[in-house]
Amino acid sequence: MGKVVSMKEAISKYVTSGSLIFIGGMQHGEPFAAVHEILRQKIDHIHMVGCLVTSLSLLIGEGRVDKVYTGYYGQDINRAFWLSRAREMGKYPEFIEYSHFGIAQALLAGQMGIGFIPIRSQSGSDMLKYNPNITVTDDPFTGEKIGAVKAIVPDVGILHVQRCDAEGNAQRWGTLGVDAEGINASRTVIITTEKIVDSEVIRRDPNLTIIPGYRVSAVVEQPWGAHPLHLAGHYLGDWPGLLAELGSEDGYDTYMNACVYGVKDFNEFLEVRKTMKGESYFDRLKIQPIPSEPVFHGYMEVER
Amino acid sequence: MNRQPLLNYDANDQMIVSAAHLIRNGEASYIGVGLPMVAALLAKRTHAAKATIVIENGIVRTEEFELPQGTDTLGTQFRADKLAGLSYISYLGQAGFISLGFIGAGQIDRYGNVNDTVIGDYHNPVHRFPGSGGANDVVTFCQRTCIILNQSKRRFPERVDFNTCPGYFDGKPGRREALGMRKGTGPVAVVTDLGCYEFENGEMILTSVHAGCGITVDKVKAETGWDLKISPKLKETIPPTAEEIEILRTVAAPLLERRRRTDMETK
Repeated sequence: MGKVVSMKEAISKYVTSGSLIFIGGMQHGEPFAAVHEILRQKIDHIHMVGCLVTSLSLLIGEGRVDKVYTGYYGQDINRAFWLSRAREMGKYPEFIEYSHFGIAQALLAGQMGIGFIPIRSQSGSDMLKYNPNITVTDDPFTGEKIGAVKAIVPDVGILHVQRCDAEGNAQRWGTLGVDAEGINASRTVIITTEKIVDSEVIRRDPNLTIIPGYRVSAVVEQPWGAHPLHLAGHYLGDWPGLLAELGSEDGYDTYMNACVYGVKDFNEFLEVRKTMKGESYFDRLKIQPIPSEPVFHGYMEVER
Repeated sequence: MNRQPLLNYDANDQMIVSAAHLIRNGEASYIGVGLPMVAALLAKRTHAAKATIVIENGIVRTEEFELPQGTDTLGTQFRADKLAGLSYISYLGQAGFISLGFIGAGQIDRYGNVNDTVIGDYHNPVHRFPGSGGANDVVTFCQRTCIILNQSKRRFPERVDFNTCPGYFDGKPGRREALGMRKGTGPVAVVTDLGCYEFENGEMILTSVHAGCGITVDKVKAETGWDLKISPKLKETIPPTAEEIEILRTVAAPLLERRRRTDMETK
């Protein structure tokens, strides 16, 4: 059971100040519980890579982020007070901007273990003037122009999944955003999971495994670990509610104090939320899951 | 079909309905979040029931779905034809297998270049947009990209301050191909709350005005940051049908309301 640890242990052991962190979940099943723990442990000078990561705003608002490698982020300082707060602290992060496909392919190059990857998009965009990691080069075979994006290799990747065994064989489904590239590109991997399952469950449907156990350093069981975002087959999200709450400075402060710093872990956060939002809040987010048709992977020799 | 002008629609409704008309039945369309998604759902529920909708998070689907607030919800995932990741979706486009792209925009200029990044200096901006997201990929890959946005002089400059998603650059032929983009790709239509546009030799030309909403060519010109070319075949925009407005009201009302409030703040 060496890899199965508490969230506190996983984050303190593998996420250090100055790390380049990949956060999985492109508006789907983000590792929110892990981000809360990063905030609680006051890890700073973070370099972050990911797409549409909602919890990034919490890290920025607390002044913990130096650099963001991404394709899209609401940077209108008039509408996102956490940015002006970061600026006041002198902690406004540097944004290194790509297209979404650019980020995905930078991470894929990282996963593939090569220095760059050719890409048709981004070329001709003014993004190239400000981002030294994208350029235009010559196709060595045709001599024609082709874009190129430099590999990104995160120091640590964090992905929330539906199920994972104690060895770290992690299975995730639904939309995958940049999850497969990002987590496989990462040198050190932390998996947070709704449930730790028997390895037998994994081996009966191994096509679902997004990263094999030997690449994973830590496994943390955390039910509702992506809340307030949704997770396929498990629960609905309250993304609009969260944005409305964090949209006001009072709401943001209350969230940070009562839900992040004021609790010892995510389970306590879930209890606090019941008090804040009412008992029925989580009932409204529960779903009646519909099973998929079983697929047949396994076999036994037929008696002849 | 009933094409009688109705009293109970406005220029924002016309914009979405005109955008929906650009989606062909059976076509695979890469649809951005927000107004493009509203237009696509309207098209699917009217003339384009067999359209395939492709969403950047990794969704390919032919079945209808409820309008999502973001790009991804359980509702957009559930009963999809294929779920994958962002790369898979972009590979479809990069390899030339998504014919139509539909995006919003912060600003668009005379030659179809889209700014989703910054107005003013990059490091000291007057206004910051959120960035490309998948928009640059869509405009690069798709054979026909349509752009939908509310029109004002500020959002229709002669040249964008920042070229996030290149259209036809300065309008000279071959600029896209010289950078490795496929021949026969790029913006083909722009739809605003004032009129509809196409491109001729890389330059945006006005092809219809929303006359049913009281819009005139003079009004369009007043909200355009360059000496706009008018198509010799200029028409009045085809007004919505009663059916289209009814579907738009029921399906897209919440987003449309949010959008109107936002526009009032930014204009």
